[in-house]
Amino acid sequence: MKKFMCFVCLVAALALSTAVPAQGFLKKLKDKVVNKTIDKEVEKKTGVPAESSENGNNNNNSSSSGKPTNKGGGGLTNTEPPDVKAQMAEAETAHGAKNYSDARYSLQQALMGIEIQLGRQILKSLPPTVVSVPADTLQDKVMSTQWGWSNLSIQRVYRKDDKQLTITIGNNGVYSGFVNMYFANAGMMEASNDKQNFKQVRVKGNKAIIQYDDSKGYTLMMQMGQTSLIVWECINFANEQEVMTAATSFDIDGIKKEMGEQ
Amino acid sequence: MKRIIIILCTVFFAMNVLAQQDFTKDMTTAKTAYAAGKLEESHFALQQAMQEIDLIVGKEVLKLLPPKMDSLTINTKDDNVSANAGFVGTTIHRSYGKFTKKADLSIISNSPMVSMLNTVLNSPILGGMAGDANTKTVKVQGYKARLEKKPGSTEDKNDYELQVPLGSALITFTVDDCSDTEILAMANTIPLPQIAKLIQ
Repeated sequence: MKKFMCFVCLVAALALSTAVPAQGFLKKLKDKVVNKTIDKEVEKKTGVPAESSENGNNNNNSSSSGKPTNKGGGGLTNTEPPDVKAQMAEAETAHGAKNYSDARYSLQQALMGIEIQLGRQILKSLPPTVVSVPADTLQDKVMSTQWGWSNLSIQRVYRKDDKQLTITIGNNGVYSGFVNMYFANAGMMEASNDKQNFKQVRVKGNKAIIQYDDSKGYTLMMQMGQTSLIVWECINFANEQEVMTAATSFDIDGIKKEMGEQ
Repeated sequence: MKRIIIILCTVFFAMNVLAQQDFTKDMTTAKTAYAAGKLEESHFALQQAMQEIDLIVGKEVLKLLPPKMDSLTINTKDDNVSANAGFVGTTIHRSYGKFTKKADLSIISNSPMVSMLNTVLNSPILGGMAGDANTKTVKVQGYKARLEKKPGSTEDKNDYELQVPLGSALITFTVDDCSDTEILAMANTIPLPQIAKLIQ
């Protein structure tokens, strides 16, 4: 009997010891189910996906450092390019008042305004389709910096499926200097490769260099006048001939004239 | 001597008037070309006008500089202002003294290259290069600057170079055969706040 009582006590003690964590586990499971049901109800009513209360408590809309994470904003509004006439008038007034710093600033703004207008004109003059690849005008870009003529860049992208052509027209003495360097060293570079992937060509009579790289595709760079440069980057083009056809479909003389190059 | 001063003043005045006239002429060309839709022509004229402004500013800066550096007298012939739109910016130059001991001051302003260089210059100022035995960070009239010791004309003498970065401008002041106290005393006679106001 004594043995039997001992056995019953042991079983009861064991049962109690396992019941405590089991109860905790059951409670957790129950909470999770309740939370999920509440979340589902909230989601149904508001249409906004709800996070479970457990995750919500942990995140509390902030990163681990306690700094709130940005969930979105209106962004910046597009500002019109500087009003050239107004800036020119301001420059004259500032110069008259011997306020040279302000006069310089207004001149820079006027220059920027002109460059943006010029860039937009050039973009308008580019063909809508090149080797049956249409222009993605949403990606049209005109960039100008306050440093004057040397940093105007105009960019247009043509895209169809996985075929893409990006044309960049830039006015930057430093870049065109690099092209000149290429022209000077081309012979050496061509000779150093078994398979020719770099050579000099002519686009509508203008000196240019074409390069092929398996990862980047074709790159054609053409120097225009003293400081301007046109770069065509062609991805998934069949061959060199197709790249040259694409390049010659642009009105290079027109662009040259607009950029004031000879 | 009096005659020379009068002649110099007249030349300076005439050059100033000419610069003003050029500015007005360039602005008129820019406005006419812009109204006619000739953007490139207008752009070129505006650039010319900007160069005129840079030249005027350069001359104004030269007027602000002291006529003497300690015992070193000014070399008027070396006074020079050159403006170049784009990467190079405007360079203003003045020198003092002759033969054995010379001081040289050059200011490059409105150059994107210089603003890039200043970023580099400012980083060592904050730490890094402060440990170099020949370079140290100093303050001149409240502006942070970098002072570098260089070998002088003889073994026991040194040249010093002081660089003061100011936004897109850089002021470089070098003095032959001197001590750091001497160059700093000389640099303190340069009206940096007024120059900064003009060139920025």
